[in-house]
Amino acid sequence: MDKMLSVSNLGKAFKDKQVISNISFDVHKGEIMAILGPNGAGKSTTIRNIMGIMYPDEGSIHFQSTNGKEIPRHRIGYLPEERGLYKNVKVMDILLYLADLKDYPLDKARTRALEYLKKFDLEGKDKVSVEELSKGMGQKVQFIASIIHEPELLILDEPFSGLDPVSQELFKDEIRNLAKNGTAILLSSHQMNLVEEMADRLFMIHRGKKVIYGTMDDVKLEYANFKCTIHGNNDPKQLELLPDVQRIEVNEGSTILYLDKDVNPNQWLKQLPEDLQILELKINRVSLHEIFIDIASDKNLLQEKKAGEVYA
Amino acid sequence: MRNTMKVAKWEIKRNMKNKSYIIGLLLTPLLIIGFMVISSFFDDSEEETSDSATVFVNDQLGVYDDMASTLEETGVSWDFMQTDLTEAEAQEDLENSEETAYVFVDQEGLEEGALSVYTSEDMDSFFMSEVQVLASPIQAKQIEELGLTESQFEGISQGVQFVEAGDDTATETSEGSLVGMDENPLQTLVPGIFGGFVLLSVVFTGMAIFQSASQEKKDKIAEIILSSLTPTELMQGKIIGYFALGLIQTLVSTVLLLPVFMWRLDEPLLEYLLVPELALYLLIAILGYLLFASIFVGIGATMADVTTAGNFQGFVMMLPFLPFVFIGPVLSDPSGLMAQIGTYIPFTSPAVLLLRLTTLEEWPWIEIGISLAILAISVWAFMKLAGKIFKVGILMYGKNATPGEIIKWLKA
Repeated sequence: MDKMLSVSNLGKAFKDKQVISNISFDVHKGEIMAILGPNGAGKSTTIRNIMGIMYPDEGSIHFQSTNGKEIPRHRIGYLPEERGLYKNVKVMDILLYLADLKDYPLDKARTRALEYLKKFDLEGKDKVSVEELSKGMGQKVQFIASIIHEPELLILDEPFSGLDPVSQELFKDEIRNLAKNGTAILLSSHQMNLVEEMADRLFMIHRGKKVIYGTMDDVKLEYANFKCTIHGNNDPKQLELLPDVQRIEVNEGSTILYLDKDVNPNQWLKQLPEDLQILELKINRVSLHEIFIDIASDKNLLQEKKAGEVYA
Repeated sequence: MRNTMKVAKWEIKRNMKNKSYIIGLLLTPLLIIGFMVISSFFDDSEEETSDSATVFVNDQLGVYDDMASTLEETGVSWDFMQTDLTEAEAQEDLENSEETAYVFVDQEGLEEGALSVYTSEDMDSFFMSEVQVLASPIQAKQIEELGLTESQFEGISQGVQFVEAGDDTATETSEGSLVGMDENPLQTLVPGIFGGFVLLSVVFTGMAIFQSASQEKKDKIAEIILSSLTPTELMQGKIIGYFALGLIQTLVSTVLLLPVFMWRLDEPLLEYLLVPELALYLLIAILGYLLFASIFVGIGATMADVTTAGNFQGFVMMLPFLPFVFIGPVLSDPSGLMAQIGTYIPFTSPAVLLLRLTTLEEWPWIEIGISLAILAISVWAFMKLAGKIFKVGILMYGKNATPGEIIKWLKA
């Protein structure tokens, strides 16, 4: 797969505080690559360095299309985290202005703008002033502005923040569509469930450093152990004694058993005692969300296990 | 440069579509016309008041006809008539009349040099100064009585006045300016006033840059825009765009005002305007604009909101008004020390230069050269500094930059 963007050993400090260090990843054509991390982890700083809005202290950023460090501004679509639009202008005017800044032909931009407005339930809003739009509508217009010039690399910083579930679905579908049609997409988010659904690869960052990097499947295989949720009235002590159980979480009427990494679910299930009350049983992998919470809340379960790798 | 022009075009288009800009564009000249009309209306009404006054003269010296013709010459049009009433009767009559005056011209008063005037209570307060014009025919009568020859009479009536004397240059200058004044003061003033007007409009429009830059932050669009162009391009685009807007304002005002002025003043103003001096005045105005525009765009980028301007920003915003300090001294002595100081301070030099060049007969070319050089260098330096501030400041959302931070950015 074509590498559209390559970031290597990126480092940036504000005053004496190292905000990010040693950040390296690639973004390929037609894939969705996600940067994950809690607030303040360094996601936006990384993206701003890529966009040339900040300059990194260390490391390099390589764009395939310009074959060098120069930022191919006209081929990148960018939706920053802190975003807005001029208030007292018409929706179509601002979309055309932003397309014009990207050197995109205006007649094509107009057609595409109308298409996308329709797609995002904003048909007929092209002549409406931006200040009359609701927040969600504004977000949609911003999203359209970032893709109107058919970018080959699309960078979305927290694209889902502040969106209602319906709009989230719209955005997700469109992002998937764009990737399917060959756009390389780099998106940052702290909403793990959304990322888990759509990202091909992910880069998890915490306190400015890499924690996890790989394809979604690999990451799940590597980090997301199985967990077994049993609904029923059972004695936690009895469950704790089961083999391959790392820890248990007792809730009212249910118990979650976190299993060892190498456990074979088939065999493990066969070992369950006969007298266990099972109203319902579910076995699945720990979600990205749980991994993320682990890291963000400094429970460090994962990091302890992977300490050697993470901080090597 | 292409991106710069795109931004400039956008700023122009955005403002031209903005109702408040359009209203401002038309309102400025209309207000000026409005004030002219209102002031002329007041002029008329004043004339009406004095017209309605009735003045009776008890003439015992036979100067009534001379007085009447003097009044006609000076354009005062009272109801002017003779009366035989005595002072006591006149006073009695005044109690029941409005806007009426009695003037007693008699031998006694002539000898004392003070003639009695009685007025009704509601008489205009300016009447007593207006009535003094009647003194000259009476004085003439006085002189005539002395039995002077015609040449003696002329000698006296010419009067004496104090004239400033000094070295030759001074005399020359005053003569020169007298000649110039005789020719028509408007001829030299018009290009200068126009230059000043251009400077004022572009600087005021330039102040809108400041809003535009801070609005960019308030609307949080800066980062989206900067993903397509560099901060320098954005800044330059704004400066050029608002310059064009200032020119549009000047053009619209000129088109609306010039015919009105030409009609009111009955002078070929356009002829006076299109002279070679205008080119220099416009150059000064453009340099002045660029200087203030770069300052405003830089300062605008340090502020989250116009309403949260700190002392520092407020102080900088006052800079365009600094030349007002120099107006008095420059007008009283266009070649004096204050005028020269004002010429060399970049913030005041555009306005002071325009003022001096309009009032001076002989242009101090060396001073003009030095001043323009200082101005050009300052423009270049401030553009550089503004670029540094703008680059960082425009992305600092929701917070004003402190002077300390600004200095740090400048050093970077």
